[in-house]
Amino acid sequence: MICAGIDGGSRAIKIVLMDCATCKVLASGVRDQGVHHERLAKELLAELLKKEKLTRRKIARTVATGYTRNSITFADATVTEITCHAAGVRYAVPDAATVIEIGGQDSKLLRLSPDGTVHDFAMNDRCAAGTGRFLEVVAARLGVGFEHLGAMARAAKSPSPISSMCVVFAETEIIGLLASDAKPADIVAGVQASIASRVAAMIGREARPPVVFTGGVAMIPGMVDALHRVLKVSVKVAPKPQMTGALGAAILACRQAAADGAASKCSARCYPANKRNEGR
Amino acid sequence: MNDAPKRLSMEDFDRLCRRRLASGAPVAAYEGPLARHVADGDRRLLKLQYDDSPAALRLWSFLLTEEERLHAARAAGKKIVGAMKDLGTVPVMAYALPNLVAFYPDGAWWTPCVMELSEGLFGLAQSLGLGDAMCPVRAMAAAFVNRAHFPIPDLLTCSVGATCDDFSAVAQRLESLGHPILWWEMPARRRPDAGEPAVTLPGGFSAPESQVAVVRSELERIRAALADLAGLPLGDAQLAAGIREANRVRALLADLRRLAYTAELCPMPALEMLIAEMLAIHFCSDREESVEVLAGLLAEVRRRTECKEGVLPAGAARVFWVNPVADLRVMNLLEDCGARLCGTEFLFCHALDTIPTDLPPMEALARMALADPMVGPSADRAARIVRDAREFGAEAVVISRIPGASHCAMEGGVIGDIVRQQIGLPVVELEVPPLADPLWPTLKTRLEALVETVLERRKR
Repeated sequence: MICAGIDGGSRAIKIVLMDCATCKVLASGVRDQGVHHERLAKELLAELLKKEKLTRRKIARTVATGYTRNSITFADATVTEITCHAAGVRYAVPDAATVIEIGGQDSKLLRLSPDGTVHDFAMNDRCAAGTGRFLEVVAARLGVGFEHLGAMARAAKSPSPISSMCVVFAETEIIGLLASDAKPADIVAGVQASIASRVAAMIGREARPPVVFTGGVAMIPGMVDALHRVLKVSVKVAPKPQMTGALGAAILACRQAAADGAASKCSARCYPANKRNEGR
Repeated sequence: MNDAPKRLSMEDFDRLCRRRLASGAPVAAYEGPLARHVADGDRRLLKLQYDDSPAALRLWSFLLTEEERLHAARAAGKKIVGAMKDLGTVPVMAYALPNLVAFYPDGAWWTPCVMELSEGLFGLAQSLGLGDAMCPVRAMAAAFVNRAHFPIPDLLTCSVGATCDDFSAVAQRLESLGHPILWWEMPARRRPDAGEPAVTLPGGFSAPESQVAVVRSELERIRAALADLAGLPLGDAQLAAGIREANRVRALLADLRRLAYTAELCPMPALEMLIAEMLAIHFCSDREESVEVLAGLLAEVRRRTECKEGVLPAGAARVFWVNPVADLRVMNLLEDCGARLCGTEFLFCHALDTIPTDLPPMEALARMALADPMVGPSADRAARIVRDAREFGAEAVVISRIPGASHCAMEGGVIGDIVRQQIGLPVVELEVPPLADPLWPTLKTRLEALVETVLERRKR
C-alpha cells in the first residue's frame, strides 16, 4: 500500500510517496510553488506516479501539509507542518530532541518528546528576518544566485553585523554596507548570522541536543555553521531537509491508513517507539 | 429548545432573536437583532459565530447597547464616572451610590476592532500623536474627541503607576485635550520582606501592609470625589452594600467559569465566555442587569451540563487562554481548530475574586485593587495561571498578545517558561492585532498544531 505526503510550502511543493509496508520512500519530487497550488501539486504527483509506473488508485491515503495545505482538496487529510516535520525528523534522525525548521516564509522550533512527538513549539512568522526570504532578498540585492550564497558565506573573513530587525530595513542596511565597500561575502555571512540569532531568540535558553536543522534553508551551506555558532551546540542537518515535511506527511498518511484498516501492514519505522505494536 | 446547542452565524442568530421577540417570551428591553449594530458600523459582528441560547442573545444585546444605556443614564440625570485603567475597583465604589453610573472608557479600544477600522478612531488617535506603536486603547482618546460613542463623563479617574505605561500616556494626552483626570497611584506590588507586616490579598498573593495602606489612602480620595459628584455621602455602610452586590456578579462568574471550564462537554463557546467575564470590570454600565444576564447564562450552562449537551464535539483540546484578543474572531477560530476554552486570565482576574466582606470596606477594596495581575510580577501572574490551568484541567496554554500593548509585550515569555516548567503543558504565543485577517493562516496553523500536539499527548 502506498501513501502520499504533500508539503505545499510558500516557495516549493514537495511530495513523498511511501510504501507503507516497508515504510520506505518510493519517490520524491520538488516543484516551485505558483499561483495554482492544487494544480501544481497534482502535476507533480502525476509525474512521480508515472516515473514509478503507478496510478492514483494505488495511493491509499494522502496527507497535505504546509502553507497551502488547505488548497490541496484531493488530500484525504491535512496536518500542520509542525506535526509533519516532527514525524519526518523522527524518521530520519530517531533521537532528535530539538528541531529547527527554516522555510521560505517562517521559521519554527520544535521540542520533541522522547517518543518523537511534539512536546512544544514556537514559530516566527511575523517578520521575514528569521526566514529564507531574508536570504532571497540579499541574493537579489547582491545579484548572485541563491545557490552561491553558501560558498560566499564560507569565504567571509569578517561577517558584517546586520542590526536591523526587519528585512525591509536590513535591505537598506545592506545597501549602506555595499556603499561603504563591505565585501559581499561578509554581508552574506552577516545575514546568515542574523537569521541564526533570530532563531536562537525563539529557542530561548535551552536547545536540547541532538538539534536537527531542516527546511529549505538548511540546504544552504553556511547556515548550519551560523546556527552552531549562535546556539553553541552541535546542529545536524536532516537528510534531504527540504523534504522533511512531505516525508512526515507521508508517514502520517501511512499511520492513518493503518488505523483505518486501509493498510494492513505498516512498518515499525513509521511509528514512534511506544506505538509500534499498534496498527500492525 | 430540544436541539443540541450550536454556534450560529449572525443571520441565523438574528432569525432566532426575531422568533423569540415575536413569541412573546419575556425579554429585556434592550434585546434585539444584531443587524441593527451592523447598521451602526459594527461590521465584525457579521463574521462571528454565536451561541444559540436565549441567554447568549441577551448577553450580546446587553454588551452592544452599553452606549445607549450611558446616554439614557445621563438623560435621566445620573452622573457618569469614567473609571480608566482600573479594572474593577472604582466601579464597585461608584455603584454604591444610587445616582452614579460608572463605565470603562478604555473599552473603546474594541470599537475599531468590531467596526473593522471603518469609523476612523485610530486615524483620529494618530492625529493626536497616538500612533500605531501604541496599544489600541488609544482609540479611547479619539472617542473623547469625536464624541460619537459614550457621553463625556462627569468625572474621570485613572489609576497610574504600576498599571500600564501605554495607558498612562494615552490618558495624559487625553487630559491635555481638556478632560481633567483624578489620578490615583498604584504601586508596583512586591512580596513582603522577611519580618515585614503583610496581608493576604484576594487570589492568594501577599503584599506588605504599607502598600495596602498607600492604595487605601488613594482610594479615599476617590471616595471623596464620588461623594462630591453624587452629592451624597459614601459611607462604609453604602460601600459594604456595594461590595456585596459586586460579589454577586463575581460569584455568578465564578460558578459560570467553574461549570463551563470543567464540564466534560463544552457548554458555552469561548466568545460568549470572554464577553461574560468582561462584565466583571464595570458591569457593562448596569450592575443589576449584569446579575440577570449572568444568571441566565449560568442557568443555561447548568442545564446543558446536566443534560450532557455540548456546543462543540466531544474531545476538543482543553485550552487555557491568557490575555484578551483584539480580533474576536480568534475565539471562534480556537474552536474551529478543535479546541475549547478551559480557563482564562484576561488581565483582570482580581475582578473575578470575591472582595473580602470581613474587613472594613476600604481595606477590602485596597487589597483587591493591589491584587491586580497587571501591577505585580509576571511570575505572580504565571503562578495564578498555573493554579487555574491545573484546576480547570487545561491541556495547553495560549498566550495572546496585542501589538503595542506594553503590559503584555514581554511577559508572555516569562509566563510560558513557568507554565512549561511547572505543569509541562505546551504553550503557544500568538499576536492578535485588531484585524487579524492577514495573519489568519498562521494563527490557524498555530492553533491547529497546538490541538494536534494535545491529541498526540493524550495517546501517550
